[in-house]
Amino acid sequence: MAEKAFLNLTDVSKAFAGVQALAQVCIEVRPGEVVGLVGENGAGKSTLMRILAGVYRPDSGTLLLDGRPLVLHSPREANLQGIGIVFQEQSLLPNLTVAENIYLGQEKEFSRWGVISWPALRAAAKRQLEKVQLPIDPATRTAHLSFAERQMVELAKALALEERTERHLVILLDEPTSVLEQREIDILFERVRALRNRASFVFVSHRLDEVLHISDRVYVMKDGKVVAQMPAAETNVPELHRLMVGRELHAEYYREARQREPAKSLVMQAESLTSEGAYRNVDFVLRQGEILGIAGVIGSGREALTRTLFGFLPHSGGKLTVAGKPVRLTSPDQAAALGIGYIPRERRVEGLVLALPIVPNITLASLATVMKRGAIQGSKERQLAESWVEKLRVRTPSVDALCLNLSGGNQQKVVLSKWMNARSKILIFDHPTRGLDVGAKEEVYDLMRTLSEQGMSIILTADTLEETIGLSHSILVMRDGEVTARFDASPGKKPAQVDLIRHMV
Amino acid sequence: MTLKRNYREQIRGLAPLLVLVGLVLVIGVLRPGFLSWDSLVVTVANTAILFILAAGSTFVVMLGSIDLSIQAICSFASVIVAAMLPGYGYVAFPVAVAMGLVTGTVSGLFHVWLRIPSFIVTLATSGLLVSAALLFSHERAISIDEAGRARLAWVTGDFLGLPNVIWVAALVTALGIWSQKYTPFGRYSIAIGAGEPATWASGVRVNRYKVIAFAISGALAALAGVLMAGREGSGSPTLADQLLLPAIAAVIVGGTAITGGAGGIGRTAVGALIITIVRVGMTFIGVDIFAQQIVFGVVLVLAVALTIDRTKIVIVK
Repeated sequence: MAEKAFLNLTDVSKAFAGVQALAQVCIEVRPGEVVGLVGENGAGKSTLMRILAGVYRPDSGTLLLDGRPLVLHSPREANLQGIGIVFQEQSLLPNLTVAENIYLGQEKEFSRWGVISWPALRAAAKRQLEKVQLPIDPATRTAHLSFAERQMVELAKALALEERTERHLVILLDEPTSVLEQREIDILFERVRALRNRASFVFVSHRLDEVLHISDRVYVMKDGKVVAQMPAAETNVPELHRLMVGRELHAEYYREARQREPAKSLVMQAESLTSEGAYRNVDFVLRQGEILGIAGVIGSGREALTRTLFGFLPHSGGKLTVAGKPVRLTSPDQAAALGIGYIPRERRVEGLVLALPIVPNITLASLATVMKRGAIQGSKERQLAESWVEKLRVRTPSVDALCLNLSGGNQQKVVLSKWMNARSKILIFDHPTRGLDVGAKEEVYDLMRTLSEQGMSIILTADTLEETIGLSHSILVMRDGEVTARFDASPGKKPAQVDLIRHMV
Repeated sequence: MTLKRNYREQIRGLAPLLVLVGLVLVIGVLRPGFLSWDSLVVTVANTAILFILAAGSTFVVMLGSIDLSIQAICSFASVIVAAMLPGYGYVAFPVAVAMGLVTGTVSGLFHVWLRIPSFIVTLATSGLLVSAALLFSHERAISIDEAGRARLAWVTGDFLGLPNVIWVAALVTALGIWSQKYTPFGRYSIAIGAGEPATWASGVRVNRYKVIAFAISGALAALAGVLMAGREGSGSPTLADQLLLPAIAAVIVGGTAITGGAGGIGRTAVGALIITIVRVGMTFIGVDIFAQQIVFGVVLVLAVALTIDRTKIVIVK
């Protein structure tokens, strides 16, 4: 290593509510270098980016910038140190103009005696937009821009740093290409290359070929750790993929041996199901005991589809049949009344009332099961909760513990208990293993197999393709709001990830 | 860490009761007559109306909302009773309470249908009722004549040596505690206040229970107005004008979180007693009666500041 690192992370660790998001991560970025960062969802990439951007503070470890210790308390401080970030979730305020967004918090440069000179600010914003070749008026309201245009404005905002400081910059790009067209990606990469004399880049993306194309070196992360580091020229997509997943597709992991042929009877059917602006003409059948996986990227319409099936987003066309009857679900209580349960990805918001104990959370969807002559029977309710806690092996000192104090895996089991107690026939698993550690994931897979064996029908949108393929009986692939492919995923006939990806992008 | 947290929460839960006992003892030392049976009974009876007013809005606050129309409902109910009792007899009472029930229901429906913040909706209904009461009473206090007063005996009378208002308050307390512990309404109120998205996503008809809470709040505010008319022997469009602040203070001082999700009517009973005793204490040390609202304002802000759990709210608007 001839050159000295400009940005240096040593043994950085960070945990959230018991889940180790980062474990002793060491990364260095040299001046003018583009560093690629790859890993599965939950591998810790976004946490790492947020630490560099001053959003989170690490539990332990050190950050050095240009040889000096770096302690960041806020994104603003990171900015002042010459660290800019283009976030995966867009951070622009839609009710402000493009110019106001680019210089948000920096208006001082353009003000005299507390009054902002708007012409000067707009002219400066115009210069930033020219850097990314975005021909829009800086006075446009951000809400009027397309998604891709906003992404370019984000980049322009990060690039504005170069005029603010003489120092060498570090620009973090967190999944900047996922919504861009090829032409826009070319512009982005061109800008990245042109700026290398002023800035170092950290580039996070799921698109491994892009990472290899633009980066000098690549770090591979898995389960919060850096598992490999190599020059981009010395590796290839399959190798990166193998390192990210950490093993070949592992049949045992997903309990494939326990996968049984589902019953013939249909519990749910969609015919030409359409929700304006989200998805169209979706057909599928769900049989008793079947796990139906839906694959697709963000914007494919699969998220909206699952929300339709639980009454959050009523469909606008086509036909949905549940248990033989045509239905249109306009609120979750209607879905619940039909025996549908929902395990949300936002477990801590939509899954559980965190500030309440386990007992009322388990009976929240089925209070009638513990009522007699119009009154809740406290002792019966408690016994019921205790039996679920025992059956699902929820690790807690007592059923009176607040859900707040449970680990992610145990919280997920309480959510499942809630729907099992409500005798749901169909469960919608929306990213059920998000944020769970490996052991907890396996327990969830185990439970899903058991439920399926007992005749529960499951609709699954998973975090990874591996999960979708491993767990499902059949798979629906969606792209741009339409179903692009269907796969049989019986044991032995499971499709490969590349087969699915071809229909996803 | 968990144990320590629970310990702190228990202390926090008991704090209102300890404050109440402390205040009673302090005043008892300063003015020994205060601790006599008769004096305590009078204090409790004086608390009853404030408590009933506050009790109704307790469920609303538990949901994380607020009802600012209770004092207007209370005053209007007193006007209805005073105006109708001589001519129509006992039907005046159910009419007054029904007015509160309907007002609360309407506020609740607007709140959930139009998704307007509860403080705005109830501020609007409050204005509406204030005007209605002024027009209805021709801007005057209506005193109730002898014939009418005879029909108020159930308010002014005693039973087993205690004033009837205390029995009414006790009944409200018992029903409130029962419904919180044993009915789906009580359970869902807490759940909605503590985590509305999860409660909704569990198939609970959140809007229905919100409307019920506002309806109860309106009905109990009207009941408080009925009792006030009985005790005062008159109804007036400004009768309850000074009661909104002490009533909300009673709910919060008792330990129901202003952000929702924790608390109960039993706590509001303690809170209302604290407010009354603070008022007695102020009179005792010679605070001008018109300056007392200053003290209630300060008490309210302090109580919220001490009880609010800032870890659960990111942004305060």
